[in-house]
Amino acid sequence: MNLQFKMPFGETGRHFIRQAALLLVSMVIVAVVLNYAISAFFIKDAEEKIHNVLLSHRGLHQYIQKVMHPEFYKARDQGDIAANYYSPEIFSSSFIVRVDHGLYNKERIKAGLPEIYYKMASSNPRNPVNKADESEASLIRMFNEDRKVKEYRSIVTIDGQKYLYYAIPFIETNKGCLKCHGKREDAPSGLQALYPGEGGFNEKAGVFRAIESIRMPISQEISTAFILTCSVSVGLAALLLLFFFNTRLKSLVKAKTATLEKEVDERKKREADLEIKNAELERFTYTVSHDLKSPIITIKGFTGSLEKDLANGNYGRMSGDLKRVSDAADKMDDLLRDLLELSTIGRIIHSPESVDMNQLVHDVLAQLSGPLKNNAINVTVQSDLPTVICDRQRMVEVVQNLVENAIRYRGDQFDPQIHFGVRLDEDTQVFFVEDNGIGIDEKYHHVIFGLFNKLDTKRDGTGIGLALVKRIIEVHGGKVWVESEGVDKGSRFCFTVGQK
Amino acid sequence: MNGEPLTILLVEDNPDHAELVMRNMEDFQVANTINLVEDGEAALDYLHGRGAYADRKQFPMPHLMLLDLRLPKVDGLEVLKQVKSDAYLRALPVIILTTSDAERDLAMSHEFHANSYVTKPVNFDEFSKLLKDLGFYWLAWNKKPW
Repeated sequence: MNLQFKMPFGETGRHFIRQAALLLVSMVIVAVVLNYAISAFFIKDAEEKIHNVLLSHRGLHQYIQKVMHPEFYKARDQGDIAANYYSPEIFSSSFIVRVDHGLYNKERIKAGLPEIYYKMASSNPRNPVNKADESEASLIRMFNEDRKVKEYRSIVTIDGQKYLYYAIPFIETNKGCLKCHGKREDAPSGLQALYPGEGGFNEKAGVFRAIESIRMPISQEISTAFILTCSVSVGLAALLLLFFFNTRLKSLVKAKTATLEKEVDERKKREADLEIKNAELERFTYTVSHDLKSPIITIKGFTGSLEKDLANGNYGRMSGDLKRVSDAADKMDDLLRDLLELSTIGRIIHSPESVDMNQLVHDVLAQLSGPLKNNAINVTVQSDLPTVICDRQRMVEVVQNLVENAIRYRGDQFDPQIHFGVRLDEDTQVFFVEDNGIGIDEKYHHVIFGLFNKLDTKRDGTGIGLALVKRIIEVHGGKVWVESEGVDKGSRFCFTVGQK
Repeated sequence: MNGEPLTILLVEDNPDHAELVMRNMEDFQVANTINLVEDGEAALDYLHGRGAYADRKQFPMPHLMLLDLRLPKVDGLEVLKQVKSDAYLRALPVIILTTSDAERDLAMSHEFHANSYVTKPVNFDEFSKLLKDLGFYWLAWNKKPW
């Protein structure tokens, strides 16, 4: 079974959907890339801030260790400070930095800024506040195991808040560090007194004892990036859509205009055709009514006259009048027969066949051999006439009518000639019947093809011959015309046979 | 009727109709001469005194023209148009005498200033009466242009 599914949108509709889908996909890609770029920008910015914080902490560490500690040791050596004096507030850089960071965060909150989490996280801290949580402990292990990794960065979500998390290993433990972080008994007694446990002691040189763990809230930035992405994307989409619809509208309008123009052209052509047909029909009706009425007037007129003459005993012109009446009746009969013939041409066209014009012309001339011989007309036919596709019977009528006309209008030619030939006019085969008879003035070249039109009313015939020829040729899709240089110059009736 | 010879130019291509017109006109003796031409071209040649009609004695200027419409060579309407657009000839009364009762013919004849438009009656008595009336009106009652 041949089922045909009808698409809901048609050919142009499918095209439209394809285009729209393509647009949507590219918009999504653009939005993703845009969001990534904007987020990357904000993350980079946050990273820089984190670096700044860390660098400033480092600076402080350095100051404490490189400036304060030597000064402190000098004062102790000079006896200004007790030899066993220790206070983390003025001696431990990690303590000072931690407290400093706490104060920094307070200042941030005052300034309306979010806190930045900072921790010197160690698996073995002296102060429990520095105790690394699980993830920090694993990071310390990772940095110690893989020395190539210099930093760790990720975006983490805690309680729905997004943070940029950053960790770097703290300075490798060296010999200097072991003064306070080596064996407990080697450490200053003040330190020993302050930190009773083992935390912070028993470290080894060449090991990362801690990491700096810092995280900064970036929810604000991420939502800003999202909003930015959305607005730019929406703006871009609107622009693209506008462009897309504009293009589409233009093409639609163009297509519609073309269709309408074509329709108008076709309609105009149909109207023009109809107008010609109407004019033809009007002319036909007019001609028929006029020409058929004419013999009636003659018949009625002369019978009236006959009656009068009969009453008056005026017999002299009676036989002449009776002949007029009879002739008029004959004429009417002829007209009716011709009209019938003409009206059937359009309807009764036998199926076209391949017709050998040599044979056809030969047949017609054989049929007309009587009148041709009686009038001593010399007929010549071009050899090798082509074969044409046409209704044979109608083509016989055409040739017959044209040859009959040539006989009828031979004039007082001493040596009447008729020639049937063919010539090529720009690839079109033009058949012609040529005579050396009375010829036709150029101004009547059109008139003669009209129904019942005769240039000379004294000639026999109803004047339908050429109208008939014209009708047959036109039904065949061809054209017929006359060429004559004027009166007494002979005539050449030409016709083409279209491929209808 | 003051004794001057009156001429009718009859333009008719149907010899039977021409005979009917002439026979009736002669019966009533309204005109001295009826000259017949059989096509439009001949009619114009006659009126302009051209070619075969150059001799005004034989072919005098008509006082009335009876003009058929459907004519060989030059159509009746064209003849009418040319006569009525000629400054001199337009004074000639032109009666359209035709078999046609087509509206277009009537309209066009008026458009071209025909003096009258009559259709040939089928009935012979009416035909006679028409021609008699026409003759009397246009040749006896009507003031002639020349």
